[in-house]
Amino acid sequence: MKWLSRIIFLSVILLFVLCTFSISHAANTIKVGIVDTYTGPATTFTNDVLDGFKLAVERINAGGGILGKKIEYTFRDEKFKPDIGLAMAKELILKEKVDILMGTINSATTLAISDFVKKEKVPFFVTFAKSEKIVGEKGHRYIFNMNEHTEMAGRAAAIALAKKPYVKYWIAGDDYEYGHAIADAVWSNLKKIKPSVQKVGETWWKVGEADFTPYITQILAAKPDFIIVATGGSGMVNFQKAAKATGLSQKVPFYQHTATELSVLAPQGPNAPEGVYGTANYFFYYPDTPENRAFVADFKKAYNRNPRIGALYGYMTAQFIAAGYKKAGAIDREKLVNALEGMSLDSPVGNLEIRKCDHQLLIPMYFGVTKKDPKYDFLIAGNIEVIQGKDYVPSCQEVLKLRKK
Amino acid sequence: MENLFGFISPGILSQILVGLSRTVILFIVSSGLSLILGVLRIPNVAHGSLYMIGAFMAYSVSHLFGGGTAGFWIALILAPLGVAALSFLAERSLFQFLYEREHLMLLLLTFALSLVFGDLVKLVWGAEYRSVPVPFIFQGYINLFGGLPFPIYSFFLLIMGPVIAILLWLLTNKTKIGKISRAAAVDREMVGAVGINVSWVFGIVFIIGCSLAGLGGVLVAPTVSVTLGMDHTLIMEAFLIVIMGGLGNVWGALLGALIFGLTQSLGILIWPQFGIVFPYLAVVVVLIFRPTGILRSTW
Repeated sequence: MKWLSRIIFLSVILLFVLCTFSISHAANTIKVGIVDTYTGPATTFTNDVLDGFKLAVERINAGGGILGKKIEYTFRDEKFKPDIGLAMAKELILKEKVDILMGTINSATTLAISDFVKKEKVPFFVTFAKSEKIVGEKGHRYIFNMNEHTEMAGRAAAIALAKKPYVKYWIAGDDYEYGHAIADAVWSNLKKIKPSVQKVGETWWKVGEADFTPYITQILAAKPDFIIVATGGSGMVNFQKAAKATGLSQKVPFYQHTATELSVLAPQGPNAPEGVYGTANYFFYYPDTPENRAFVADFKKAYNRNPRIGALYGYMTAQFIAAGYKKAGAIDREKLVNALEGMSLDSPVGNLEIRKCDHQLLIPMYFGVTKKDPKYDFLIAGNIEVIQGKDYVPSCQEVLKLRKK
Repeated sequence: MENLFGFISPGILSQILVGLSRTVILFIVSSGLSLILGVLRIPNVAHGSLYMIGAFMAYSVSHLFGGGTAGFWIALILAPLGVAALSFLAERSLFQFLYEREHLMLLLLTFALSLVFGDLVKLVWGAEYRSVPVPFIFQGYINLFGGLPFPIYSFFLLIMGPVIAILLWLLTNKTKIGKISRAAAVDREMVGAVGINVSWVFGIVFIIGCSLAGLGGVLVAPTVSVTLGMDHTLIMEAFLIVIMGGLGNVWGALLGALIFGLTQSLGILIWPQFGIVFPYLAVVVVLIFRPTGILRSTW
């Protein structure tokens, strides 16, 4: 029986070593927990967030980390299900003891996690969910929104559309919360800026609709001047393909939020419709500044593809975390939140600020129109009009009024 | 032109045509589902995944051959064959041992397969949106009644629908395997007792049914973005169509698809905000009056 006791003895020692190692390991790192959707169609956006984040983290760690500590991250797949997402956030905070949480593309998951981090007082960086409730009525001290939300997108589009001569508008979109939120935001803001606009009619189709032809013929029969198309996900591409096949894009101009984004235009190659209006926060070819070119080159070197919008969100989240801790001077959640309020950093798209009152990142919005370019084998955004973050974000008073409700 | 059709406005006519072209893909996919349901008694939830795989294969094949018109035609043949090969594997390795089990067991198995296929697609093709261009000769649109546009590709679909329907009719009525499979659907044991290898008959029917899903995927690919999740909406619609038409009845699938496609496109005309409700209302109405479906169910 000697060998057995020896094995037990050895394994106890091994276990002990492992435990102390992991404890000391934990104390020497800053742990970031990521909850996001990594199965299903949303992955096309979330992979970019993760890769952008990784890129920045590798660089920060290579430069000696923050306050002598390296950033470590673990990610969880919430499968686009709020209950799973919340359970994972709880696991990351209570068991993994993460210092910071980030994610998710799913607004419902984000709101569920937001409630939890508010109680646990853990900073939570939102990196794709578009609901305006996140920093609006459900906003609180520990939430940071690193991307635009539906109300912001609507305002930006309305600012640009108000300058166009169109009067008779048709509204169409995916029949779910995001679709309605985008459409409402564009329309209510447009009506405010330019009261002469009229709504001729509305069409709503189910999410995942494969054939838009019946809807398009019906919209064309009403002869509107302009169509606000509130689609999301794969509906973006589906609608553009149908617009091309029915000649809609040549007959009636239309707008889609993110219509000009690489994830929508690249898959269609040279066959995407020209003349589609869209808003997006980021293009790898615009702004054509040294900062953006350097970011694109780094990203391409690491992942062999062009960065898309999510890459910027992920990249800047890591940068803000690093800069926040540096300014705070300690690995402390409360100090981090205080340090981040009102902080501004240089980014590939210029200087970005986290607004103090609601923790919304002020990021420029690019309104443009799809066009062919000999340099690329897909369409890109042309005639870009830059709308600065401060110009299309709801004012602090508006947000704080929403929070009081 | 507008007076030619009397009280039927050009808008309605154009919506009917659009609805018919939509019916084609629904029919092709749900006829495959119905065939498998009728003969093998398998409620194949993975049918939608095979449709998705068909679309992804169409993307790969058409890109392999330059992404042009030739690529599409080759994809139209190769992608359903690819799906057939995959379903052959699934049938020989899994389903053939489970024909005698309960439906619930089979349902669970096909559900599991749909998850496996979903992840398989993500592994092989990644999460990006993919797009198959419309073949050159079908690009563009023509103006129908009252100047409303109708994509030329939809005309191609309108031709494909009847062609597939006739081929299916020939298969089930004029070929030996069709006759055996119809007999097996009624009484499996008796067919086995007269010395026919039922297992292989079932295998072949399963493969034919699945490749119809693949064919549907290829045909839909030029009109949509090929993406993960495109199976979810379709499988629900296909099941509704099959239930409405009568379980296992291929002609019921045709009828169901027609009702589904037309109520949707005409519903949009009546009430655009709530156009999506009409096909489901039609399902409810049909099931209230004919709980087992419009045509005779083989179950």
